[in-house]
Amino acid sequence: MKRLFKKLAGVTALGAAIAAGPALAQEPIKFATPLDFTAVYTFLTNEYSEGQRDYITLINERGGINGHKIEMSVSDTGNQPQRGIEAYNRASRDGVVMVDFLSTPVARAMVNRVLDDEIVMIMALHGRGDASDGKTFPYVFPLMATYWSQAALLIDHMNQNEGGLEGKKVAHVFIDSPFGREPIPVLEELSERLNFELRTFPYASPGNEQSATWSDVRRYRPDFVIIWGAGGGQAVSVRDAIRNGIKPEQIHSVVWLAEADMDTVGRDVAKGVRKFQAAVSGTDTPIIQDIIKEVIETGKGAGPRENVGRTYYNIGVATMAIVVEGARIALEEFGAPLTGDKLRQGMERISDFDAQGLIPPATFTEEDHQGGGFGRVAEWDGEQWAPLGDWHTSFQDVVWEEIREGAEEFRESRE
Amino acid sequence: MFYRLSGIYHTRYATARQLWPIPADRWQVYFLLLVGVAAPLIFSNFTLTSYLLPWLIFTAAALSLNLLMGVAGQLHFGFAAVMAIGAYTSIHLVRIGVPLEFALVGAGLMSALIGSVFGAAALRVKGLYLVMATLAMQYLVDWTIINVPAISGGAQATLQTPSTTFFFVPLRSDTARYYLALLWVLFVTLLILNIKRTSVGRALVAVRDKDYAAAVIGVNVVRFKLVAFFTSSFLGGVTGAVLAFCYYQAVTPEQFTFNVSVQLVAMVLVGGLGSVLGSYLGAGFVLLAPIALTNFAVYLNQMGWLNVSANLLSHIPLMIYGALIIGFLLLEPLGLGKIYDNVRKYLLVWPFRHSSM
Repeated sequence: MKRLFKKLAGVTALGAAIAAGPALAQEPIKFATPLDFTAVYTFLTNEYSEGQRDYITLINERGGINGHKIEMSVSDTGNQPQRGIEAYNRASRDGVVMVDFLSTPVARAMVNRVLDDEIVMIMALHGRGDASDGKTFPYVFPLMATYWSQAALLIDHMNQNEGGLEGKKVAHVFIDSPFGREPIPVLEELSERLNFELRTFPYASPGNEQSATWSDVRRYRPDFVIIWGAGGGQAVSVRDAIRNGIKPEQIHSVVWLAEADMDTVGRDVAKGVRKFQAAVSGTDTPIIQDIIKEVIETGKGAGPRENVGRTYYNIGVATMAIVVEGARIALEEFGAPLTGDKLRQGMERISDFDAQGLIPPATFTEEDHQGGGFGRVAEWDGEQWAPLGDWHTSFQDVVWEEIREGAEEFRESRE
Repeated sequence: MFYRLSGIYHTRYATARQLWPIPADRWQVYFLLLVGVAAPLIFSNFTLTSYLLPWLIFTAAALSLNLLMGVAGQLHFGFAAVMAIGAYTSIHLVRIGVPLEFALVGAGLMSALIGSVFGAAALRVKGLYLVMATLAMQYLVDWTIINVPAISGGAQATLQTPSTTFFFVPLRSDTARYYLALLWVLFVTLLILNIKRTSVGRALVAVRDKDYAAAVIGVNVVRFKLVAFFTSSFLGGVTGAVLAFCYYQAVTPEQFTFNVSVQLVAMVLVGGLGSVLGSYLGAGFVLLAPIALTNFAVYLNQMGWLNVSANLLSHIPLMIYGALIIGFLLLEPLGLGKIYDNVRKYLLVWPFRHSSM
């Protein structure tokens, strides 16, 4: 019976292939982004997805990638792995070459599957940092600086530009989850290397209430504070820190801090807060200008106009810019039709790509799927995020030690 | 007419007391069993791995919880934690070289042990207070898994399931994984169907209905409450292990959070307390309805019939889903299982309205 079905399926596929023969050159490229619109990642999903779709529209309006239009399906997983798996199976059945889940639990459950099915999965600013090891995770691309790189860069910034860390006290205040704990090994290693004191302060998930933690932090009298959370908890962290006598300039945040959080805290109160930045905010870069001109003003935008240029919108644009660049290289080097394997190789050939100034120059290789780990520290000036210094990387040796260790563990468990 | 009751005479106790004394019921069960066994041939790989497999496994989970909540009347709001214990135990056991067959038993025993410790609270408290005690279990287990890297699997807090075999069959293909899940859900189904008609089952029901009344008629309440927690947690633990090995293939703490516990309770309630068929229907509804509704909304959107923002588009299925739950429970408070039962009872004597018995 099964054989019969397979035969039938084969015959139909053959027929379809013959029929589609001449049209093959214009065959669309399929992406799938089953995101979490309704549960945990809601604080960024809307803006992020809008950025992704607007950029794809921009590319399609210009005729696609070398004539190939992009079809991108967007759906909701509610951050539930079983819904993610269903969406992924559907996508892989439909011949998708790239998936993005923007959800750590869903993406982690999918790692084995994409490695088996040879479909590219991007994992920008979520998922597992050790997937930067392209030899172990050939089809997984973290695309941007991992949490380890972010922690290293923040520490480096304190050390270089804010008076040095020798003998100082750093408080790491984090949401009590694997995500909050992730940077701790890197911070510990750096505290030994740079000779500063590190203490960690967890607060309970989801972080709406952190006052007990912050009175502990106050008693510790830290010189610098790192806050490591996401969503609503971040604004609570900043507010409670300031309430406990910590100056905004002492607060250094993981990438998850955006305009909306500053509104919650109060735009003026939060002046001076620093955060890690993975892509330029605002509408000044040419790529965002092009989107405004060719997509938003022609009425093809995917969402409200005021989101354009916000932090998470631009991150969404950046992820698609990198993938499209990879697809372009893949099509030029290997020709159509684009497969997951070709897309992977295309992305591994991207070098010094900065999306016209939107992101730090990223270079991907077969080994490095993080793209170098570039970023910079930006300061909230009351209106927007003003960069302090240029794009750079910090302590990548420490970061890669962690990456290799995690990848090694993964390889062993996959045996 | 449909059930052809005339001419069925049970001349031995054994035939009258079998699980499905009416042939028509039996044929339905045989048919479903056949569909279940032949599913890898009938359905596409996509349907098998995206819908049938999770449905079966979550049915096993709902059945395990239903034994505790529906049959024994003990509320449990931390059942995902029980499954988490099973999942993590089995993976660690397989990693140190224990064969999967024994690892599953070990997972069940570990869950049963820890589950019974928290179940001991049920000896003192009932109802909402027991909900609180089991909630505490949920959060304690979550906290322990996250904070002990040896359990969670290091900084990434992800454990891959090692590739392994079950009775000499490698668990590599989707078909093999499906059959293991099918085997397990059949085992749980038959077990619970049979528990319900033994002295243990009747004792559990007595405890459910009024525990001191049960004590008066000679049921050892302490013992049977613990039996309920032990058995249910054992089954839950093995189900967690099956879920990890057959479906997720990588476990993270987020797969077993409080939300999942609530989903499991919803499966039991929507399906019907104490109903075996209800667990199947409830698990199917809670698990698959949001997926089906989401896909339908996306389809409408792609066809251009539903032009709303992506945000609203993903919330519309949730609204319909919520309305459906309320609707079903208004229609029949005893759950989907009872709706089937009503239909069946009606058809049993159709075209007459009442049976003479």
